[in-house]
Amino acid sequence: MRALICGISGQDGAHLAKFLLGKGYEVVGTSRDAQLTSFGNLERLGIARDALTLCSMAPTDFRSVLQTLKKYAPDEVYNLSGQSSVGLSFDQPVETLESIATATHHFLEVIRFLERPIRFYNAGSSECFGDTPESGANELTPFRPRSPYGVAKSTAFWQVSNYREAYGIQACTGILFNHESSLRPARFVTRKIVRAACRIQREGGGEKLKLGDLSIQRDWGWAPEYVAAMWAMLNAPGGGVDDFVIATGESNSLEQFVRHAFECLGLDWKDHVEIDSGLYRPTEIRFSRGDAGKAQRLLGWRAGRSMRETVEALVQEELAEGRR
Amino acid sequence: MSTSKVALITGITGQDGAYLAELLLGKGYEVHGIKRRASLFNTDRVDHLYQDPHVDNQRFKLHYGDLTDSTNLIRIVQQVQPDEIYNLAAMSHVAVSFETPEYTANADGLGTLRLLEAIRILGMEKTTRFYQASTSELYGLVQEIPQKETTPFYPRSPYAVAKMYAYWITVNYREAYGMYACNGVLFNHESPLRGETFVTRKITRAIARIALGLQDCLYLGNLSALRDWGHARDYVHMQWLMLQQEQPEDFVIATGVQYSVRQFVEMAAGELGIGLKFEGTGEKETATVMSVTGDRAKCKVGDVIVKVDPRYYRPTEVETLLGDPTKAKQKLGWTPTVTLPELVREMVESDYNSARRDNLVKSAGFQAYDYNE
Repeated sequence: MRALICGISGQDGAHLAKFLLGKGYEVVGTSRDAQLTSFGNLERLGIARDALTLCSMAPTDFRSVLQTLKKYAPDEVYNLSGQSSVGLSFDQPVETLESIATATHHFLEVIRFLERPIRFYNAGSSECFGDTPESGANELTPFRPRSPYGVAKSTAFWQVSNYREAYGIQACTGILFNHESSLRPARFVTRKIVRAACRIQREGGGEKLKLGDLSIQRDWGWAPEYVAAMWAMLNAPGGGVDDFVIATGESNSLEQFVRHAFECLGLDWKDHVEIDSGLYRPTEIRFSRGDAGKAQRLLGWRAGRSMRETVEALVQEELAEGRR
Repeated sequence: MSTSKVALITGITGQDGAYLAELLLGKGYEVHGIKRRASLFNTDRVDHLYQDPHVDNQRFKLHYGDLTDSTNLIRIVQQVQPDEIYNLAAMSHVAVSFETPEYTANADGLGTLRLLEAIRILGMEKTTRFYQASTSELYGLVQEIPQKETTPFYPRSPYAVAKMYAYWITVNYREAYGMYACNGVLFNHESPLRGETFVTRKITRAIARIALGLQDCLYLGNLSALRDWGHARDYVHMQWLMLQQEQPEDFVIATGVQYSVRQFVEMAAGELGIGLKFEGTGEKETATVMSVTGDRAKCKVGDVIVKVDPRYYRPTEVETLLGDPTKAKQKLGWTPTVTLPELVREMVESDYNSARRDNLVKSAGFQAYDYNE
């Protein structure tokens, strides 16, 4: 089996590459400029450069997508590329839409054009839901996005749905709730918190960690488990034609996340955190929780790590990184 | 110095743009419109509003522009300094969107974002009000009947998906930046100005031409599709109302009454005295003339004048749309004034006149072209 992972330099791309290599897949990974990309995340997971093929592909360029899918003839395509930061989407709304929706459309159109049985995974997002019900959002919960990123991801979700229904393409969207690992870039709040907490413990107390709204609640899971769900979706009976919510089913406030991260290091978060209203977003989701019951029933998937275990793992990895 | 309000209408050359421009001029607005560049004249629908650019106090102005060009939009908004922007421009044909999905997303989805960004970039968030033309196609595979403001979306075409982006990005800019921006979720709305490639106009035009012997048969797609049809003039009034409130809100605009495409054909034929009988199912369905009354239709009993051509089927069909305009009635006091039979009569009369003109031209030995969809 051959898989094409688009956006292999990101957190999920690297974890998925590791997972699929472990399953004996031949893996081709793309990045917009494979010559210039550092692929540091692959290195951090101990994936040797010759274990997979890396190539350049620009998802917003139809020819580029067509050539790549033709050349490598993959059985499975995982599109994990695109602008992935909610905060940044308020500053770059056009780029956000193009890198997400134009790109998704190109993949769908190329697969239709090639008339090959390529199965397509689209990276959806819990941001599509906006605020979720207390009981958690499932596959039937209507979307109510609250950021240009969420609106763009909703668009991509319906593009996939429409190509599946109109042209019978084997395509699906995984609606993943927040999933973290130490491969997250530092502009994401989870990595920023863990990094700062470890630095403060190492170097002493002068530094203040500046954060936005601590009352927001999220459903945080462990990224390596979530990429396994992507694979399970494309390999479900029927061959990847059903959408799934992937989540832990547990919600915690950002304050609980911060408190636990500092506690793991024997620190009191209140001594080191400062609220900066400049970090508030123009529109913020207050409460987010997923209900992955369908994934458990039909894919046998469920989250193994809770938020607390995820935070502990992040702190351990960060400390190991610091020692190195 | 004029103190009248200034409106900017994108899509001014379309059906809704023409009716809205007329409405706003009647209310004393200065109206600016954006039209796309073309080598041919494309302003038929607003030519009666046109004013010579050399007269003083010109209140109707057209600008060249395109929703796919952000610098152009910023420039026009800066020059015009509108109090109200009505974004009616779009690639608005559902079937064509399956052929040109990327252009549809660019013009309908991204185009809306470009306009919202133009308002922000110029610092006009608090002074310019924004109307976004949303569509009942968002409901697609309907999740409840009838559809209202709270019904979840299930878009079924590239057109609907692009319009869904525009809907939510409008909501997001309202919530994120405090803009007065709102969506009118309009169900199908027709008039004699409706484009000839849309099913209603295709029907009224063909029936008129068949009655006069200029055409033999009308080919249609899904005859059983159910729609909620209103008159475009009623609907643009609602577009204006939505921008005159204290708080911006989204509204469904519909009649709350539903007919099938088949019934629309029957009504249109009836206007010219043609009685029809539909027989067969699916691709084999046809309509035969059973009676001819009056002197307006020349076709004969037994003529088969409607057939199904599967080429007009869509990869994913929207079978039924029915709107619930209760909120518009309760909050804005809006109700549609034109029923479907009245609308059909107006459209058929208009197309019958055009067909008579073509007939005259032909009988005088000149060429009149038979445009067919």
